[in-house]
Amino acid sequence: MTSPLITRYMADLHRELPAAIADEVAGGLVETYEHHLATGAGDAEAARAALAEFGDLATVVGEFTRQSPGRRAARLLLATGPAAGACWGAALILSRAWTWPVPATARLGFGAALLVAAAFLVAAATSRHSYQRTRLAAAACPVLLVLDVTAVAAAMLAAPALTSALALAVAISLSRIAFTARTLPRLTAR
Amino acid sequence: MKAEAQVLKGHLDTLLLASLENGPLHGYAVKEALRDGSGARFDLPTGTIYPALRRLEAAGLVTGTWAETGGRRRRAYQLTPAGRRRLAGDRAAWRDFASAVTAILEPAR
Repeated sequence: MTSPLITRYMADLHRELPAAIADEVAGGLVETYEHHLATGAGDAEAARAALAEFGDLATVVGEFTRQSPGRRAARLLLATGPAAGACWGAALILSRAWTWPVPATARLGFGAALLVAAAFLVAAATSRHSYQRTRLAAAACPVLLVLDVTAVAAAMLAAPALTSALALAVAISLSRIAFTARTLPRLTAR
Repeated sequence: MKAEAQVLKGHLDTLLLASLENGPLHGYAVKEALRDGSGARFDLPTGTIYPALRRLEAAGLVTGTWAETGGRRRRAYQLTPAGRRRLAGDRAAWRDFASAVTAILEPAR
């Protein structure tokens, strides 16, 4: 039987953090509580002492949030985004991309998806107290994968010639595809 | 006290690695090892030990595995070869730093 204070804290942990992390941290909290019980403290006193020794929920969740894989991946993708965007922009202008046989709806859809993915990444990258928000990176990564693959395919199929600027942009996209594909399983597993 | 907590935070990774040097420990045991090893001077909030251990794990310096002991599931951490190398490097750097500070604060007369 555990104190209601401890039970509530554990429920909050499970609401805020992935199950594997919450299980581990909750185990540590129970151990802290039992340590105080063993020293002769009463139930409520042991619970209060354990919570004080453990640290408040916001601090614990914040520490996990700041080092979450979703936040790290989002920051890396956002940091390399401007360089990738600039390369693609220059390559598309030099290749006169407006003359490529790509429907306007496809262009608009690409732009809209890119904006949504970027918004998700910004939300994940700037999260400091919500682990759940860092999970948005897991939603953005598949979209980015599809966008990068689409951009590379469009360049290969629609561009009249593979200029050096276009080759550089394709190389950057391929690097991002490799990083995203490698990172995605970690983001969805936790 | 606040300044000491900041200094401690700067050395937290090394202290955690050192606490695991003699074998695997779970989070609460790591906290106790730090407290006991420092004569109760380093009494960190238990809840902050777990994120730090996960950070070391993500960096490849420790590995964590679930095991059942005494009817309770716990995640025990142990040093990886990279963690041992990092600890050795940090220890050497700390000795150099400490001896330099001591030489200034307590010059030979």
